[in-house]
Amino acid sequence: MNRQQQLQMANIIAQQTLLAEQLTTTQFVEQFELQAHSSRQYILSYQTEQQSIGRLSEAPTLPQCPSLSRFPIWLDQYDEIRLVSGCAQPLGSGTLIVAVDDESLYELKAQFISASAIALCLAILLGLITGLIFSVRVLKRINGFNQVALQVEAGHLSARVAISEQNDEYDHMASHINTMLSQLQHSFETIAGITDAIAHDLRTPLSHLRQQIESEILDKQLENLPTEQLESMLQKLDEILFTFSSMLELTRLQQQREDNSQNFTNVNLQQVIIDAVDLIEPITENKHQFIALQLPSPLFIQGDATLLFRAVYNLLENASKYAGDNAQIEVRLTPNGFTIKDNGPGICDSEKEKVFQRLYRIEKSRGVAGFGLGLTLVKAIIQLHNGTIELLDNNPGLTVQITFAN
Amino acid sequence: MRILVIEDNLTTRQYLQKALKEQGYEIDLAENGQDGLFLALEGDYQLILLDRMLPKLDGLTVLTTLRNAGKQTPVLILSALDSVSERVKGLREGSDDYLIKPFALSELLVRIEILIQRKGSNSDKQTNVLQVADLKMELLSRKVFRGKNEVILQPKEFKLLRYLMEHSGQVVSRSLLFEAVWDYQFDPQTNVIDVHMARLRKKVEFDGLPSLLETVRGVGYRMVEQG
Repeated sequence: MNRQQQLQMANIIAQQTLLAEQLTTTQFVEQFELQAHSSRQYILSYQTEQQSIGRLSEAPTLPQCPSLSRFPIWLDQYDEIRLVSGCAQPLGSGTLIVAVDDESLYELKAQFISASAIALCLAILLGLITGLIFSVRVLKRINGFNQVALQVEAGHLSARVAISEQNDEYDHMASHINTMLSQLQHSFETIAGITDAIAHDLRTPLSHLRQQIESEILDKQLENLPTEQLESMLQKLDEILFTFSSMLELTRLQQQREDNSQNFTNVNLQQVIIDAVDLIEPITENKHQFIALQLPSPLFIQGDATLLFRAVYNLLENASKYAGDNAQIEVRLTPNGFTIKDNGPGICDSEKEKVFQRLYRIEKSRGVAGFGLGLTLVKAIIQLHNGTIELLDNNPGLTVQITFAN
Repeated sequence: MRILVIEDNLTTRQYLQKALKEQGYEIDLAENGQDGLFLALEGDYQLILLDRMLPKLDGLTVLTTLRNAGKQTPVLILSALDSVSERVKGLREGSDDYLIKPFALSELLVRIEILIQRKGSNSDKQTNVLQVADLKMELLSRKVFRGKNEVILQPKEFKLLRYLMEHSGQVVSRSLLFEAVWDYQFDPQTNVIDVHMARLRKKVEFDGLPSLLETVRGVGYRMVEQG
C-alpha cells in the first residue's frame, strides 16, 4: 500500500462525500453503482441497512478511514481469494467502504513460489556441482585402487595404493589394502623361495645320482650286460630334473618381469613361428594334423628369440597333443601378435584361468605326458614381453590369442 | 689330448676326472678360478671345462682374461645357471659351448669330441661338396643325391643332414642337432628330434639301401660309411 493509493482513496472518499451531499439518494446510488463497477483498482461498496451497493456482497467490519485494515474477499473473476486493504466511512444513511486490492498475498505467493523455485534450482545446482566434484575425486581415488588391482593381477605384487594427506576413509582403506598386499607379497615370495630352494637344493644330489647311474650304464655296456632298468631310471630322473629346472626357470622369468634388464633384441615373430612350425611338423604329420599358416608379413618385436620360440613351440605342441588326430591347426600373425587355433575339444570356461597355474592339469589330460608347467611358462614368457595371452573358444576348439602391447 | 677341468665341487670334479680318463684324455684339475686361470695361461690344453661359479675368480672373468691374453683354447662352460640369458652371456664372452648342470655324461663327451675336432681340423674345410659313401650333398645348388637319385629335402632337413655329414663318424647328440639346425639355445626335452631323424632317414635310405644314419642309444646319432 503506497502513498499514491492512500491519496487516491482519500480522494474517492472526499468525492463520494461531496456527491452524497449534492445528489439525492437515488441519484447517488445510481452513480455509485456505475463508479463501483467501473473502478478497477478500487473496490467500492455502499452499505445501508436495507441494501448493499457496489462490489461487496456484505460489509466487513472495518475501522474508520483513514486507518486501514486488511480483509479477504473472494474474486469471482479470478476465482481466488485476495487480501484487500480498506476502511469504512459513514456517509449519509449508510457506510462507504473503500478498499484497494494491494495484491500483497498474491505477490507474496508469487514471491514465495519464485523464491522457492530459485532456492530449489540453487540447491539442485549446488548438489550437482558438489556431487560432481565429490564423485570425480572419489572416482579418481577408486581408479587408483583399480589401477593397483590391475597391476597386482598382472603379477606386479610390489604395486601399492597411493595414500593422500587427508587421512579419510579412503586412506584407511588404502593403507589396509597396502598392508594386505605387503603380506601377500611376502607370503608369495616365501612360498616361491621355498619351492625354489627345494628344487635348487635337490638338484645337486640328483645330479650326482644321475652321474652314478650313467657311470653304471657305461660300465655295464662295456661288459655287454642289459641296462634297460637303469635307463628307465635315468629317464624318470631326467623328468624330475627337467621339472625342477622348469620351475626354477619359471620363477626367474616371473621375477625378471620386475626389472626389464634383459638382452632383448629385434626379433621377427614371423621367422620364430616358421621355425617352430618346422620343428613340430613331423609330429603333426604323423597324427595327420594339418597346420595352416597365415603369416603375410614380418612382425618385429623387442624380445628374446629363444624364449619366444619356446612359447610358440609349446602352444603348437599343446594344440597337437590335445586337438586329436586329423585336427586342423591355424597359426595367424595379427597386427600386434598372433593366434593359434585348433578344432579339438577346446577348454571349458571354468578351466580357462586354471590351466595357467603351476602344475595344474585338466582331469581328462592326465593321461598325456607333461608336467603342467608348459602354459605357465608360456604365460610368463609372454608377460615378460609385455604381452597378454587369452584363451577363447574357436567353436569347436581353442583359440590362443597373444597380443603384445607395443 | 690334455683337458683342464676348473670346477670347485669335489664330487663333480672326481666324476669328470674318472669319466674323461676312461675316454683316454689326460686331465689337469683346478678347484678355483685363480689356479684355473694360471694353468690355462701356462699350460697347453686342447680343451678347458670351466665352471661358472668359482671361488676367488668367477668363471666368466677367467674366460675373458684368457681371451684377452690371446689364448684361443676351446672352452666349454659348465653351469647350473640355466637361464637362457646367462647362457648367451657365456657364449658371447667367447666360450665355444655351454652345458647346463646336470648334464648327461654322453652329452658332455659328444660336445668335447666336437670341440676338439673343430679346433684341431683348423676350422671347416672350404668345400662345396660333402660326401659320405654314396650320399652326396652339393652345398651351392643345395642338392642331395643318393647314388644317382636326387633326394628332395626340406630346408631344415637339409641343414640336419649337412651337420651330420660334416661330423660324419662322430656321435652327435639330439640337443647339438637342435642347436645347429634351429639356432635356438634350449633343449626341447621331447622326442621331436627323433621324429625329424626318422623322416630324414626315410628320405635318405630308400629302396633298402644301406643305412648311413646310426642311432647311438641314449646319446644321439652318427653318420657312418657302412651301416
